[in-house]
Amino acid sequence: MKRRGFMIGGGALFALIGGGAFVTSQVPPIPARPEPDATTAAGWIAHRDGRFTLTLPRAEIGQNIATGLKQIACTELDAGWDSVDVTFHDTTGAGVKATVGSESVMLFAEPLAQACAALRDALAAGRSSGEVAVSPRPVADLRALRKGGLIGASPELVQGLEIVTGQPLYAADIARPGMLFGRVLRALASVEVASHPRGWNAKAAEAVPGFVAIVPECGPPIGKAHGLGIVARTPGALNRIADALAVDWDIDGTPDRSDVMAAIDIDRRLTRGPLPHTALDGAPEAGAWDVDLRIDMPLAAHGPIGPRAAVAEWQNGALTVWAGTQDAFYVRDVLADTFGTDTVTVQTTRVGGAFGGRVIATAELEATALARATGTPVKVQWTRAQEYALGYHRPPASHRIRARLGQGRITDWDHGQVSSHIFFTAAVVPEWMQTATNTLIGDDGVARGMAAPYVLGRARASYDVTRLPVHTASWRGLGAGPNTLAIECAMDEAARVAGLDPLDFRLAHIRDPLLPDVLTRVAQIADWGAAPVPEPGIRKGRGIGCGIYKGTSYAAVVADVRVRADGRTRVDHLWCAHDCGLVVNPDQVRAQCEGNLAWSLGMILTDGLPLEDGFVTAQDFADAPLPRHSEVPDMVIDLIESPRPPQGAGETAIVAGPAAIANAIRAATGHRIRRLPLQPEVIAL
Amino acid sequence: MAFQLNGQTQDIPDGWADEPLLNTLREKFGLTGAKFGCGAGQCGACTVIVDGVAVRSCIMQTRDVGGAQVRTIEGLAQGTRLHPVQQAWLDLSVPQCGYCQAGQIMSAVALLDEVPNPDDLDIESAMEGNLCRCGTYARIRAAIARAAEAGQ
Repeated sequence: MKRRGFMIGGGALFALIGGGAFVTSQVPPIPARPEPDATTAAGWIAHRDGRFTLTLPRAEIGQNIATGLKQIACTELDAGWDSVDVTFHDTTGAGVKATVGSESVMLFAEPLAQACAALRDALAAGRSSGEVAVSPRPVADLRALRKGGLIGASPELVQGLEIVTGQPLYAADIARPGMLFGRVLRALASVEVASHPRGWNAKAAEAVPGFVAIVPECGPPIGKAHGLGIVARTPGALNRIADALAVDWDIDGTPDRSDVMAAIDIDRRLTRGPLPHTALDGAPEAGAWDVDLRIDMPLAAHGPIGPRAAVAEWQNGALTVWAGTQDAFYVRDVLADTFGTDTVTVQTTRVGGAFGGRVIATAELEATALARATGTPVKVQWTRAQEYALGYHRPPASHRIRARLGQGRITDWDHGQVSSHIFFTAAVVPEWMQTATNTLIGDDGVARGMAAPYVLGRARASYDVTRLPVHTASWRGLGAGPNTLAIECAMDEAARVAGLDPLDFRLAHIRDPLLPDVLTRVAQIADWGAAPVPEPGIRKGRGIGCGIYKGTSYAAVVADVRVRADGRTRVDHLWCAHDCGLVVNPDQVRAQCEGNLAWSLGMILTDGLPLEDGFVTAQDFADAPLPRHSEVPDMVIDLIESPRPPQGAGETAIVAGPAAIANAIRAATGHRIRRLPLQPEVIAL
Repeated sequence: MAFQLNGQTQDIPDGWADEPLLNTLREKFGLTGAKFGCGAGQCGACTVIVDGVAVRSCIMQTRDVGGAQVRTIEGLAQGTRLHPVQQAWLDLSVPQCGYCQAGQIMSAVALLDEVPNPDDLDIESAMEGNLCRCGTYARIRAAIARAAEAGQ
């Protein structure tokens, strides 16, 4: 585990105890959005009137981090499960980083434990009010960072009861007195093309029952797409008003009609010279290749079931926004900047699916603008079609991987990729700045997972990024899922060339000390050597894949698939071995593995967005399908007992699952997937 | 025109008759368990039970429930005693983000009301229209089996 600033500085720290309300102003002033340490952790835990309050410093986006951090707090406080209340943070307290990158247990467990330990000792010493000075103690002295009691247990989920009884938990569930419903309409065009509302039929709109207002001043554009706001008394009236308005859009210039997949075509790009950024900087020798694989992956939606939503309310010049966001402090700063006020509070809520898609400000800006224009609280929830057209997505990627073998080992490896931006997303970064980052540093989000965890001889991995007419950015695991899929498909082909079992072939190329453990464990639980039981008319196959996420978390997956004569493919079973260090909540780490495996299945069989003229034309789930009940099989997840500190679990198995499925399809059909998602006709008999 | 909402008689409110039932439940009656996911009846997040049948409340007009019995997730528990499906969902820690789960639960309740001992195919066909992006499907199947057992 990284040593953090407070361990080096060793200064006095404060947890809060007292008889009154939780007073966040007692938290010492700190820089905005600091790394999590005990200084900030002091503001997360408070004691009053015999009860503790844990103010969750993370967004609850389905990883059930509220449960995991409550386990840490209860353990370190030596407090009963029912004596700790969990509340969701707002932006009046100390800043916290965005909830991204599977960092919540990895980075927040120890600071929280330090603060709780200090509070526990102060209470035991008879203190009952004021601030408590904390001397950070050695990690070995923290009860919450070793297995035992609640650590390694799976208590009832925080908010589990509220979910199964339908209580209001999400931004879209917020109701305020006099609240109206709003939407900002935008042109059906690429957000990279300037567009403005030129004219509209106000009279027809005003005649719609429930009509309240047309709001031209409806907040900043999304990309270059300026909007026209509408406000109504009911959500359903918004559709009728939008139809009646029949907005005439001024779309500046010609749309980008180039094919997005052609724009990132790796082979075309390679004819123009080497790729500018490297993840592995070896120099493969020229010559014939034994493996020469091209894999193209499409633009893909996050597809959360909850479209983004926000409720905004202005009261005496002060703005409050309820938001389902991964980054409340960023949203606050954007709102403050856009609307020229410092009195902004963003209250976080549970998020109805995020997966990397909720880190910028969108619906929050729209709701705020409409609330200001109407003088009433306004709720905005995007339509499904808006999610596709105006949100950002996983960038498409085009990979070329070449490998040469000698004596059963890879001697040369050359992996090239062209994709679009993830960290330096066009959704917030202007083109000139991207030009600079493209030249100077590349994009680590695109590169994530491109450095294969194998000894590959003279190995190069390099990439380029190009701005596209559709916005791309973070998606579960960033580049790691797609990159590892490409690598693990190439490893599978290389094993075939070598005539070796793909498990043995991988093990022979691994230098990392922990990766073999998950591979051999998954081989054990899946009985890797056993062949699938034949069935007439069905092609069956078994595949394996593995990977390391962010250098610290490990997964290996075995998949069994069945392919019908018409090419329809069903994943029959998935096995996963997973090592993320100390496991606080094994049931919920398993749940994250299960989710990652469902996403793995989606990456191969369903994910992909239709595009036309640089515009995502998907309107609904028929155009952008998700895996369904019948498509997602039962799974066996095995967690490695590890002495390491806790690592990330939210995006790990997605580095192993997709390749296991693709390799199983290869084993069943002889077909190596080159274009995703897999089209059944490609493998039909 | 009146209807039964979780066992209580309610009038269809003025100005809401042409509204999708989902919006009326959420914004007029404050029953926010059913969720907006797609507005096209494709994801099942808005599922409620009308006269014993699981329906997509986002594509049903409020006026169309006149005289009908509408059951939402808020009406499942009896006081603090959870419905067996709710209890099974809790016992197996089914929810991740949780957004689709009210719809999943209502589809499962409608299934078990009709088929107390569903086989795999019954479960698949009843639940196929309820999407979950977090990937909780396997747990949902296990929870339905558990609830069916508890109902014996």
